[in-house]
Amino acid sequence: MADAPQRARGEAQYTADVLLPGMLHAALLRSPHAYARVKKIDVRRALEAPGVHAAVGPEDVEALTDEPGFFGAPVAAIAANTVEQARAALELIDVEWEPLEPLLDPDEAVRRGQLTDEPRRNERGDFERALADADVVVEGEYRTQVVLHNPLETHQSVCRWEGDTLEIYTSTQYIWGIRSRVAKQLGVEPDNVRVVCNYMGGGFGAKNDPGEYTYVAAELARRTGRPVKCALTRREENLAAGNRNATIQRLTVGARSDGTITALGGEFVNAVGWDGWIAPTDGPMQTLYHCENVRTVTYGAKINTAPMKAFRAPGYVEGTFGLECLLDELAARLDVDPLELRRKNYAHSSNERPYSSKNLMECYRRAEPHWERRHELRTRSDSTWKYGAGLASQIWYGGGGPPSYAWTRVGSDGRITVITAMQDIGTGTRTAMAQIAAEELGVPLDRVRVELGDSARGPFASISAGSSTTPSMGPAVRAAAADAKRQIIEIAAQRHHLEERVLDISDGNVVSADGNLSSPLEEIVGLLENAQILGKGARGPNPTGMQVLTFGVQVAEVAVDVETGEVRVLRVAAIHDVGRVINPLGASSQVEGGIIQGIGHTLSEQRLLDPATGTVLTQSLDAYRLPTIADVPEIVCELIDKPDEHLTNLGSKGLGEPPIVPIAAAIANAIRDATGADIHSLPITREEMLRALEAAKQKQRGAPAAV
Amino acid sequence: MDVLTPSTLDEALRLKAEVPAARPIQGGTDVMVELNFDRARPPALLNLNEVRELRGWSRENGTLRLGSGLTYTEAMAGPLAEAFPALAEASRTVGSPQIRNRGTIGGNLGTASPAGDALPPLLVRGAEVELASVRGARTLLLTEFLVGPKRNALEPDELVTAVRVPAGPGSETFMKVGPRNAMVIAVVSLALRVDGDELLASYGSAGPVTGLVRAPLSERAGFPEQVAAAASPIDDVRGTSAYRRHALRVLTTRALDRCLA
Repeated sequence: MADAPQRARGEAQYTADVLLPGMLHAALLRSPHAYARVKKIDVRRALEAPGVHAAVGPEDVEALTDEPGFFGAPVAAIAANTVEQARAALELIDVEWEPLEPLLDPDEAVRRGQLTDEPRRNERGDFERALADADVVVEGEYRTQVVLHNPLETHQSVCRWEGDTLEIYTSTQYIWGIRSRVAKQLGVEPDNVRVVCNYMGGGFGAKNDPGEYTYVAAELARRTGRPVKCALTRREENLAAGNRNATIQRLTVGARSDGTITALGGEFVNAVGWDGWIAPTDGPMQTLYHCENVRTVTYGAKINTAPMKAFRAPGYVEGTFGLECLLDELAARLDVDPLELRRKNYAHSSNERPYSSKNLMECYRRAEPHWERRHELRTRSDSTWKYGAGLASQIWYGGGGPPSYAWTRVGSDGRITVITAMQDIGTGTRTAMAQIAAEELGVPLDRVRVELGDSARGPFASISAGSSTTPSMGPAVRAAAADAKRQIIEIAAQRHHLEERVLDISDGNVVSADGNLSSPLEEIVGLLENAQILGKGARGPNPTGMQVLTFGVQVAEVAVDVETGEVRVLRVAAIHDVGRVINPLGASSQVEGGIIQGIGHTLSEQRLLDPATGTVLTQSLDAYRLPTIADVPEIVCELIDKPDEHLTNLGSKGLGEPPIVPIAAAIANAIRDATGADIHSLPITREEMLRALEAAKQKQRGAPAAV
Repeated sequence: MDVLTPSTLDEALRLKAEVPAARPIQGGTDVMVELNFDRARPPALLNLNEVRELRGWSRENGTLRLGSGLTYTEAMAGPLAEAFPALAEASRTVGSPQIRNRGTIGGNLGTASPAGDALPPLLVRGAEVELASVRGARTLLLTEFLVGPKRNALEPDELVTAVRVPAGPGSETFMKVGPRNAMVIAVVSLALRVDGDELLASYGSAGPVTGLVRAPLSERAGFPEQVAAAASPIDDVRGTSAYRRHALRVLTTRALDRCLA
């Protein structure tokens, strides 16, 4: 890791570390009601409190509201000398609330037509007819819960006005998005907004937008003439900083007796919350398998809960859980091997559009030895602990796209600086970009430095979302490195009276094909004294008419204590196809992180509400249970590592999201393998596990399952 | 808020008498959480970390005397773990290494939470709590000391100085169900001890106070049901009442198997 020493020594400056001279601290007043109207608000008493400089309310900042639609919605804010003073002053804001009846049930919202958007319908073929003709039909209702991003660094910004220019230090996944959104909101020129994010403590999709903390800090900074920091507390992070929305999925699969899937249907209810968008929960059903007759409808239920935000493969995580559990129930019904069922229904194209590359069959082949382990594994079962294995496939985006730009600067000392105004959300971007430039320029890695994180100091760069950082930025960096290299070769050719085509740079030396020339890079560029070589690169388009997607399969091994309902994940083998791998260590770290976060989603994490009031009960990390290191299984990571020949000058796709996509279904399917119980609801708490075991027992007896 | 830091027990008792509202603090694993979440704003903290008399443990006339400043880490290993295995097992399930290094048995007693992990092992041993004040010392059975959820029998000027249990032989164990494998407050916990012809079980997180259930060994078969029936658990974010009762039944059965193997 290029920046490991800075991170380890605490030298890396995160937004949480930003302390500007004279900086004030803001605190937010949040709604104690899931739905209410602010009839009156009076900040006068708060303004008189010690250390307080300014207060803003719904009339001052658009991101503050006088009709809070969820528990924790931001209503007002205070700036004070210290964050403690600001928080204490919040209690002195006089608010007259008119509580309204909250709507919390997503199914009820759909019945009432209270939707965030038009229902999204996707249909191909003739689903009804195919279902009528099917030899076997399996139906199931699956539910997934609300989970929270909980990045280590909470959402926060520091804003400072320098004349008519607003500087924003912010923890963000998208420097340029913050720049344009804030400029538009405040009515200033984009060039008058400078966005800085040097290091960042994670986002997982929740930090793509400016957020109320940025707008509040900007307005309070404008009013006070001082820099203002607005940083969410961990509790606020668990209330109102975004979430993966809950889903209800009513799914149907029809198949021939040989296992050929002929019909897939799904009704998806996304519990979007008070605001947000409809994540593609239907995506896996539409794209993972070859099936001519598919019909899905997805509803966005508008309810009085905090708005969803993108969360590591939004929609696909939830949808894959439903679909891949349904597929295993079909496999069980047909007595077909689950891996064989997936091979049999392999999609060779996506609605007639070819894939730029797809090596999922190779992933399945490499899954075989892991899948074979289930036979031995099952023999370990005794009357208490049951062992089993399960698998699930993965499909997701991750191709990135244009535009993105990078510059390279080669000094007379032969050292290279890569400059681009992108962010590193903690995935090792500095290292990967340095590797790409070093390889293209033929220099050792330690000769390359990457400067990023400042919109005033580099060209436009892509969002770090949708697993797009490497596939979007990498090609631009490679092109910028190639541009510099071309110029160096040109100079070397003139100097040594050789043709450019026989020259190359290797291990820091300019070399000729015949081996007669081997001259250190710095000798060639050193001729120029203070002159520099400047390269520039742009990210090219994605291949026309092709689908650029990522694929994979995971095999999970579990043990289930059938008396207490405890589920232990023992081992996960993850095999993913993401094109060319740039940094194997960084890649395996993404796989591990995705699986661990997915285990939390599968087994222990859940935002709980008081069903009567909509109050969030899980505001601390005691009540909201992220997995600990003691919950982490052995993780085996295998990457196909074949460059996508159709995709850019790099052939790389992203890996940030794919590993979290199949893990819940793989674990649920392993539980079925171990116990015979069908898992239909996340998280699989001990109680949920016991309920599923009881339902399986009832089913075996032929009685209707108790709900 | 003042922080009072006595260096001797006498000084600590004098300060506690002078400022009865001062909140005793050892490791701070409970108190600091309360302060951070603004659940408590005591006028002063009585920092007991420098009071030597509260530390460590000893054997005295057939009893184990555990100072209220004994940490979970200290209870987890060495001769004390051999002499008091259920406490060692319970201590290993507390929080993280950092919390086990700081958290103390005395803190568990002072907080008197029904989820306190040290309490069930102490209860099945028939523990007695030593209390002291400038007025003198007294001893209470732990069952008398725990009077309600997060309520104990301490007078405003009193401090817990130690807890005593008989050092005699017996077979015992501790089990805990949590929603993940570490860093959890118990969904339900159980200590079980077979002491001669008597069965003793104590459950945590399954009633307003940590409960104690006794039965003759001859009633072993019905004991799991007896324990489950004695508990009065509630539904909360950690689990439901029904699950807690079920888990107590399972844990009691397993603990009996383990202790009587």
